[in-house]
Amino acid sequence: MIMAGPASRKASEPPDEPDVAPPSAAAPVEEMELVKRARKGDLAAYDDLVRRYQERIYATVYHMTANHEDANDLAQEAFIKAFQALKSFKGGSSFYTWVYRIAVNKTINFLKQRRNKGQMSLDDLDFNAEHDPDLVALISDKTPRREVGLAELQEKLNAAMQKLSEPHRLAVTLHDVQGLSHEEIAKIMECNVGTVRSRLFYARQQLQAYLSDYLK
Amino acid sequence: MSMSEDTENFEQLRRLLALKRHEQPPPGYFNDFSRQVVLRIRAGERGGEVTILDQFSWEAPWLQRIWAALETKPILAGAFGLVLCSLLIAGVVFADKADVASGTAAPSLETASLPIVQASIGAADQPFLARPVSLEPSSTGPIDAAKTDELLLNAFGKLRAEPASLSFPGAR
Repeated sequence: MIMAGPASRKASEPPDEPDVAPPSAAAPVEEMELVKRARKGDLAAYDDLVRRYQERIYATVYHMTANHEDANDLAQEAFIKAFQALKSFKGGSSFYTWVYRIAVNKTINFLKQRRNKGQMSLDDLDFNAEHDPDLVALISDKTPRREVGLAELQEKLNAAMQKLSEPHRLAVTLHDVQGLSHEEIAKIMECNVGTVRSRLFYARQQLQAYLSDYLK
Repeated sequence: MSMSEDTENFEQLRRLLALKRHEQPPPGYFNDFSRQVVLRIRAGERGGEVTILDQFSWEAPWLQRIWAALETKPILAGAFGLVLCSLLIAGVVFADKADVASGTAAPSLETASLPIVQASIGAADQPFLARPVSLEPSSTGPIDAAKTDELLLNAFGKLRAEPASLSFPGAR
């Protein structure tokens, strides 16, 4: 269980551990200053923090749920929860990693409670998708499904992702979609790097089996 | 399955997963995201829904700063109240003086020449049916409401109520 922790700890309040620097270019000193101000109730400072990480947090939750509305609610709730729990944040880790853990925990709890697989509500592909070299290469390969459209491919891919367990889906999302390092993922998922690699390998194998028609 | 085959297949999969990076929320979605978060935090602190006042105060930060200053500094709040009261009293006093000044300068209503409406009522026994009230106001002049009301009330006073007698054929 990836989100296991001390029994006394609330599921949505991650521990405050030393961590790697966030992938964004935000200066840590300035970030800590914003955190200090936000802790005193300065909502303008917190607004600044939200703007820095909103896209990454939303994207992670969205790729986990495959539903825009759920992702919107969960991402907002994660930031609200983070604000309410700011007093427990001592600054030992980056705010980025800390809020990431809150979002991931909230999302996994939500997915456990969502008994039936919810309807997918996918975001539209942006204009650049048709010109992405990886996708162009994939579509132009002589595969039995080369005539498939991007929209159909998107739907099949998301359906396959939803078949993975939450820890495996999270590993693929954070590494293969969002480009985080194994070390960063280990901090977020609260496990060691070996476990991350193992989950990633297994998840890829599963996806490969689900999407075999599109990968020949 | 060999390791090289795995790597090759994962490369294909990696290309396919690149598609996920192009899934984007509606345009402008993130412009409003942080604002929504802050509004929900403010609403949560008050234990209620997001009000129009919350939205307005967030969109006008100067108002938020003034309000925060008034909340934290009672002296400032007192001074602000004093200024408001002074302005109110000054306004009332100035308005009275202005009324007095305009009363001496402007002609009174009684002396002003207004068009008089002539109304005539017909026969007293059938005031409404025989001859309707004829009012000939000018298109721009006001109707003398008091006079017409008095005439109508007099006409009502002459009306008599009589018991109705109804007889139907075949009725006992």
